[in-house]
Amino acid sequence: MSTVNDAVPGREARAGKFSGPSLIPSLNVIQREHGWLPREELARLSRETHRPLYEIEGLISFYPHFRVQPPPRVEITVCRDLSCWLHGADEQIAEVHARYGEDAQIEVREVSCIGRCDIAPAATVHEHPVRAADVGAAVERALATDEADDGAQGPAPRTWPNDPYAGQAPDARYAVVRSMLAGELDADQVIATLKDSGLRGMGGAGFPAGAKWELVAAQEPDPKFVICNADESEPGTFKDRQILSEQPHLVVEGMLIGMLAVGAEQGWVFIRHEYGIEEEAVRAELERARAAGLLGPDALASGRQLEIDVFTSPGGYILGEESALIECMEGHRGEPRNKPPFPGVSGLWGKPTLMNSVETFAAVPIIQQRGAQWWKDQGVNGGTGLKFFAISGHIANPDVYCVPMGTTARELVELAGGMADGSALQGFQPGGSSSNFLGPEELDIPLDFKPLADAGSMLGSGAVVVIDDQTDLLAAATNVLRFFRNESCGKCVPCRVGSHKAHTILTDALAAGLGPDGVDARIDRLEETLRMTSICGLGQVALGPVMSVLRRGRAGAPT
Amino acid sequence: MATTSATQPTAITNNVSLRIDGQEVTVRDGTTILQAAAELGITIPVLCHDDRYDPVGVCRMCVVDVGARVYAAACVRPCEEGMDVTTTGETLDRHRATLTELLLADQPEPTEDPKETTTGDNELLVLVRQYGVEKDQEHLPQGAGRGIDDSNPVISVNHDACILCDRCVRACDDIQGNDVIGRSGKGYSTRIAFDLNDPMGESSCVTCGECVAACPTGAITNKPLHDVPIRPRTELRQVDTVCPYCGVGCALTYHVDDERQAIAFAEGREQPGSKGRLCVKGRYGWDYARSPQRLTTPLIRREDSYPKGPLSGDVKGEGRGRRKPGGLVDYDEVMPHFREASWEEAMDLIAGRLVALRDEYGPGAIAGFGSAKCSNEEAYLFQKLIRAGFGTNNVDHCTRLCHASSVAALFEGVGSAAVSTTYGDIINADVAILAGTNTTANHPVASSFFKQARRRGTKLIVVDPRRERVADHADIYCQIKPGTDVAFYNGVMHEIIEMGLVDEEFIAKRTSNYEALVELLTQYSAERAGQICGISPRTLREVARIWGEAGAAVVYWGMGISQHTTGTDNARCLIALCAITGQVGRPGTGLHPLRGQNNVQGASDSGLIPMFYPDYQPVDRPAAWERFERAWGRELDHVRGLTVTEIVGAALKKGVRGMYMMGENPFLSDPNINKVRKALSALDFLAVQDIFLTETAEFADVILPASSYLEKDGSYTNTDRRVQRGRKVLDPPGQARVDWEIIQDISNRVGYEMNYSSAEEIFDELVSLMPNYTNLSYGNLGPTGKLYPNADPENSDGTIVLFQDQFNTEDGLAHLVPAEWMPARELPSEEYPFVLNTGRLLEHWHTGSMTRRSFALDSISPKATVFINPVDAERLGIADGEFARVTSRRGTIELEAKVSHRETPGSCFIPFHFREAAANLLTIDEIDPFGKIPEFKFCAVRVEPATVAAAAGS
Repeated sequence: MSTVNDAVPGREARAGKFSGPSLIPSLNVIQREHGWLPREELARLSRETHRPLYEIEGLISFYPHFRVQPPPRVEITVCRDLSCWLHGADEQIAEVHARYGEDAQIEVREVSCIGRCDIAPAATVHEHPVRAADVGAAVERALATDEADDGAQGPAPRTWPNDPYAGQAPDARYAVVRSMLAGELDADQVIATLKDSGLRGMGGAGFPAGAKWELVAAQEPDPKFVICNADESEPGTFKDRQILSEQPHLVVEGMLIGMLAVGAEQGWVFIRHEYGIEEEAVRAELERARAAGLLGPDALASGRQLEIDVFTSPGGYILGEESALIECMEGHRGEPRNKPPFPGVSGLWGKPTLMNSVETFAAVPIIQQRGAQWWKDQGVNGGTGLKFFAISGHIANPDVYCVPMGTTARELVELAGGMADGSALQGFQPGGSSSNFLGPEELDIPLDFKPLADAGSMLGSGAVVVIDDQTDLLAAATNVLRFFRNESCGKCVPCRVGSHKAHTILTDALAAGLGPDGVDARIDRLEETLRMTSICGLGQVALGPVMSVLRRGRAGAPT
Repeated sequence: MATTSATQPTAITNNVSLRIDGQEVTVRDGTTILQAAAELGITIPVLCHDDRYDPVGVCRMCVVDVGARVYAAACVRPCEEGMDVTTTGETLDRHRATLTELLLADQPEPTEDPKETTTGDNELLVLVRQYGVEKDQEHLPQGAGRGIDDSNPVISVNHDACILCDRCVRACDDIQGNDVIGRSGKGYSTRIAFDLNDPMGESSCVTCGECVAACPTGAITNKPLHDVPIRPRTELRQVDTVCPYCGVGCALTYHVDDERQAIAFAEGREQPGSKGRLCVKGRYGWDYARSPQRLTTPLIRREDSYPKGPLSGDVKGEGRGRRKPGGLVDYDEVMPHFREASWEEAMDLIAGRLVALRDEYGPGAIAGFGSAKCSNEEAYLFQKLIRAGFGTNNVDHCTRLCHASSVAALFEGVGSAAVSTTYGDIINADVAILAGTNTTANHPVASSFFKQARRRGTKLIVVDPRRERVADHADIYCQIKPGTDVAFYNGVMHEIIEMGLVDEEFIAKRTSNYEALVELLTQYSAERAGQICGISPRTLREVARIWGEAGAAVVYWGMGISQHTTGTDNARCLIALCAITGQVGRPGTGLHPLRGQNNVQGASDSGLIPMFYPDYQPVDRPAAWERFERAWGRELDHVRGLTVTEIVGAALKKGVRGMYMMGENPFLSDPNINKVRKALSALDFLAVQDIFLTETAEFADVILPASSYLEKDGSYTNTDRRVQRGRKVLDPPGQARVDWEIIQDISNRVGYEMNYSSAEEIFDELVSLMPNYTNLSYGNLGPTGKLYPNADPENSDGTIVLFQDQFNTEDGLAHLVPAEWMPARELPSEEYPFVLNTGRLLEHWHTGSMTRRSFALDSISPKATVFINPVDAERLGIADGEFARVTSRRGTIELEAKVSHRETPGSCFIPFHFREAAANLLTIDEIDPFGKIPEFKFCAVRVEPATVAAAAGS
């Protein structure tokens, strides 16, 4: 007799995870209808689906998207994380609280990074992103029209060096997919090219993309899935946002190539719910692809079925972790799994799943068109290919830049117009909030996997946050730690308890005016335990940036 | 659980070799590092892991170095070929100490820790001591501030002591299948939560206590009952025994406080059937034995309390509408009618009166009701007294009210009334039908195995008019119309035959009368059958296909099958269904009527039924009576005796005049109480032997204070045919005596000498007369009992699957008996438009004499209620919690309404435990012609708001 426990070795117990369809869509329906989740509706859902109430509680209390109170007339969120914090978010937040705190029809919530670090300090009104300074106008609009959007068009799409179709008519797009569907290009060739190109995952971990595709392609079929991880949520990180917005066709084509290469018929774009504008761009692109016959039960009459849907994240940085993302899509709390097994072997619903980030998929079409060598040749200083960076903080022109891999931090800073207001750089995070802080003496290190690792930091999420010399670097690092504490899923002990206790220790030290030398050495022990024993990357790196500042401070560098 | 032993590699799987702490080991692929280390005798500390649960790897205490960038959790990480694992060392210990310190920071002080101050086995504090961790209040912020939840009457939840190990979550889901506990919130503010983060006591929690058993810290602990402090096990005396409630017969251990002569707490105990699980009754429902209402001296009815009749308002029928919970008998109202007597006087009176009645009216004027709550030894001795001492077969017990029809059908069909396989064997089934069984309430621990099997791939088909909790776990739920089981199963069999899914070879070699069955089934197309039972033909065909195609299929049934005037026919259909598809006699197949009482199987085995001597040897078969006449040294009655229901009728007509009742309470348990009241009043003499002054005892001439289950030794046979020893835990209160000694004393006074010195001696005698119990002895029953038949109880747990080669009938074949669908006797009418269904609640037991005197059970479920569907409730204008008046042609009661989605529209359900609103005032005393079982599951009633009815009536 077959049993569900013929599972892949290492697969965890279900512990509160129920098989069967995800309840998240049903919860979304209730919330759309009522604006929130009334208890009677939840009880009815439980009864009708024969699913336990606690499963519903587990979801609605985990995902910030779900409301268990009726919504306010106007909902304001204000970002409290690093890039915004560097731009005076604390004061702005206090001001918004002061202005609207007493107003019963307006709710103000502090939230984690919303990926609008280029307009820091950022806020949203009715999910529409605005500068915190412009909240007042947006609230007025919302009160008058129930719509916060000012209708203004964003800047026109730019030309990017990773787009093989730049300057061509839109119907030239999807050339690689067309070749594959026509039988002119087979999966083995595609994977071989990808392996040769040296493309590595751009989501943070840098796993070689070709090897991942090959692994998934080698799994038994029936069925496999492809997921584009568009859940970038790390403070300072907004490069995928720009790609989704300006180059959705490359993302969709990259996914379709991936689906054809590994033998999947269904793909998803898992996108954070704060990226409403970008989600619309992706949906529009999917419609274009469908209209072009590339999506559907018989794509371009090839006999191949290709479907891509959008899965809107119910919220939480942790869902960017691939196994947490899968847990979420399966309808569970987004808690990362113990690994192995990895998603390539046992992913969504236990099936082999190819998951890459937005930037990774977007690089695939040009690699397939121009060849592995062309891609390799794009890098400098020993780097391979092109790299998108989001730069924010005390920088003149915070924005997304696509540069050769291996470009130095100094070059990138110069490209972005240099330090804001001519201030001096004190330190920077080269790869998002999880990366260790580097100092001005390290500006000439190439922004690439190995050189940054050698320097004790990492390329990470491709977010460079620069900090001027007027900032308390320990306070900045503590802000980063607070983000990780806030976003810890709570599954494992070291991260859940350790990030909280460490944050308290540091806040107390800052309040007492202590410098790096005054911070209790217990932090060192906590950092080591979190790094070595946490289940996922969040806990493993949560104390890294703080430690990097403490180490620098104790070594005598200015903080 | 999922993983089998690491030491037994099988041919179809690969092995992997690795090094752990320098030692080579080869294990089956998929073995975790923790398991492989255990093979080498290496212990790795754990908190979230327990072998009973699948691993989650959240506490990280078991991290080991596998040579990777970060450590791996040994509990969940599978071994890999060539892995080099280090499990210990200074660095690892430092990390474990840090993890321990982090958890300790938020814990209550050990002096206030709910576990450390009770059982004293807080597993976190063990690690704290092991790693020498101290609470560092100076540097580490302390306390989570999550608070305490004391809303459950017997379980305390201290969220601050919770380390979020998810053991309780897995215990609740994976072991018990109750699905109540999960995680709420995120990050540091995460906490375990019940339902929608409700207080435990207001949630759907059924208080099975599995989470208490699972919790490693002071987060979920037992509250002391009746101020008996919970102390470390080493300071208490352990008694390994069996649960006194249902037929599942879970093994448990009572931890006894000898100073206070009281039980401090109970725990499940490993046993092949129940596997250490318990339900709320087993874990918390034992304190009835300490009730101040226990009878402690013999009582004789006062002269001025004749003529006999009911004494309390409730029993007189005046209690109707008494709107207060906890309706125990009011001793002040009843006791004045009795006077205390010596045992000498009471016993002489009983013996003298019963002998006089027998001498004047013949042996048939005497009848005895034994009880399925008493032991095999007591059942055996009681029927021996009635048969040999008084010379009549008028001896019966409450089996008549539960599975008599199943027994009749099984005897006719397969020659044995015992289950053909165990409840745990469901794990080997591809498909299981649960027929007419509210298993989660009535056999909670068995239901946990059903739910678990379903999660592991067994398809569950639930057939029941009431959508009870187990239906939530069904792959297919068939909400048949009440009383249409025969049509349903005939329809299924019809379709199985149509689809060619019968087992031709099995039918040819192992059954008889198949042609007659086929002939009848031609009339039960899915369309016609579906119309009768209210199930779509498509669903009937789906059930037929799933059952017909199953490699192994089993059926478990309950009172929903048996308690009908067509109960025997219902069971005949289930037997036929299994037989024509060859689904008997192999693992994961067969027939299992789930026995209600802890010893209903054993009492029936031991001869406490009017038509059989012990081990189902017919009283009217010469070979049998000759054997027992020889063994018992008396000439016996060779005519079948009267059944429970027939005895009540005979008492009314003065056929039966004197009765001896041991532990039965027919006033509440039998149908149509108004008739029972008259019957009991009409008896010339009634002796009642019980632990409380029951409703029935109000009609007694003499009342004897008996011993509770906890106060004596004896053996009990559960639904699986597992014979287990019950062991004395406490002394009987006052002058109360052990039941078998009382029987022996009476026997000696009526001139039939008995001279047993122990329960064991009685057991040996009954084994010598019961072929199925051959080889069993107190010595070899061991701590977990043995299944019968058992060729080698010293070495074997016994036979799980019966009928592997032949059935127990004389020709060895299964006898197929075609059954026509017939409607229930009293159908709804304009005046009585509802169908009344009666049964039990999870927290209560039969007439409530035990459970309503249990603090836990009475606190959780204090009130009589009528369950009605929301649609009906709205139409009738009855809101949840309002009083409803329910009237049948036989009586009327008022009780609170519970509006429940689980009821079928047009039906209502009333549990029969509550004397102040006795369901059996309403039920009909029509009986099944073969099993003589009453139709408790179907009569016509009217439901209306109590206010309207009262106004109309006044």
